[in-house]
Amino acid sequence: MYDLIIFLILLLLGYVFGQRAEKRHFRSIIEREKQLRDILVFSERTVPDAGNAEGTLVCGSVVVSVDFFKNFVAGLRNLVGGRVSSYESLLERARREAVLRLKEEARRQGAQSVWNIRLETSSITRGSGDGIGAVEVLAYGTALKAR
Amino acid sequence: MADYENPEIPEGINVSPTHPLKDFALLVAGISTLLVVGVLILSLLAGQLTRHIPFAHEQALAASLDRWLPAAPETPVQQQRQQYLQSLADRLTAAMDIPADMPITVHYAPAGTVNAMATLGGHIVVFQGLIDTLPNENALAMVVAHEIAHVRHRHPIVAMGRGFAVMLALSSLTGIGDGSLQRWLVGVGMLPVLSFSRHQEEEADDAALHAMLRRYGHVGEAAAFFEHIARQQPAAGGLPIFDTHPGHAERIARIRDFAARHGDAGNPPVIPLPEFMKDGKAAAGAAGAG
Repeated sequence: MYDLIIFLILLLLGYVFGQRAEKRHFRSIIEREKQLRDILVFSERTVPDAGNAEGTLVCGSVVVSVDFFKNFVAGLRNLVGGRVSSYESLLERARREAVLRLKEEARRQGAQSVWNIRLETSSITRGSGDGIGAVEVLAYGTALKAR
Repeated sequence: MADYENPEIPEGINVSPTHPLKDFALLVAGISTLLVVGVLILSLLAGQLTRHIPFAHEQALAASLDRWLPAAPETPVQQQRQQYLQSLADRLTAAMDIPADMPITVHYAPAGTVNAMATLGGHIVVFQGLIDTLPNENALAMVVAHEIAHVRHRHPIVAMGRGFAVMLALSSLTGIGDGSLQRWLVGVGMLPVLSFSRHQEEEADDAALHAMLRRYGHVGEAAAFFEHIARQQPAAGGLPIFDTHPGHAERIARIRDFAARHGDAGNPPVIPLPEFMKDGKAAAGAAGAG
């Protein structure tokens, strides 16, 4: 009985705080994406007009934790299959945040664009069993500054 | 460079538009239903099969578990108590259509636990703590007859068969999700098992009341034990769905209803407990008849 109450409280806490954090994060992402729109990012490997530019490696990385609610819903989803929508929004946030941090670094370097951009995702708490997972997304690329 | 641009991407491309709570409610409802129905079918099947295990096999199985039973009584007074309980059980057995190949063995346990239980192989354990709460032989006979009825209806072995089948099925869910998800799945899966157990208690109560009526001619004092427990724990919390036993009030009401239907007159004579059965000490410990 007490286990059930604790479980429901954890679920409620996970939902309330998780949703609040997610909404706030999305607002901040959209806001900062507007501010950094002048830094262009491309996945293309060959840089046009490479002779007139100077390249440096820039990267942005972010770690986002899964909340108890998302974790539980994803566990249920694992039983029946289908889109794990609770993790979709989590990874979307992480990817966009990582690209934003990369752009911020590019701006600090005085660059106007980032080329050959790559994204890598890894689970930080894989195999820890009972623990609630966290995900890291790393974005890296070559920032170009006109010489 | 002029050929390159970053167009503005519309929101919501990579995220499913379902509301998280709707997703959660659908998943919980669907999976709980599947699990409860599955466990219900499985335990019904297992229960039906275990009922066909011959009693001799059950006794052989119980013989390998006899270290769970209390040790043989040491002092003369404990031996006297055990003999009294055994003779009470024998008299009740005679009133209960127990097959000849189903011997009932009563064990006396001096511990203060307010409980009695029936286990595999026709073994019944009665604790001194329980005897101390009962006012007379009729009240004790009701509890002993209740336990004999469990044996008569093969409840211990059916419960064991169901338990094994359900635990085997639920443990096959290990490896899905994390600890909290598994605990939840097992918890939901155990709900139908608890309700089976409540049904068994009611079945045993009914059989015990009939035995009491046949043995003593009335069912006076049959509710004494539950009335005692109800006084000890006036407002037991918790939802009835999580209980293995029917509520005390519910059981007292059923016994009174039975008494009314069988024309109990005012204060029928009751048989007192022999003096040597009373321990004198106030009973302490957890309550509930098994």
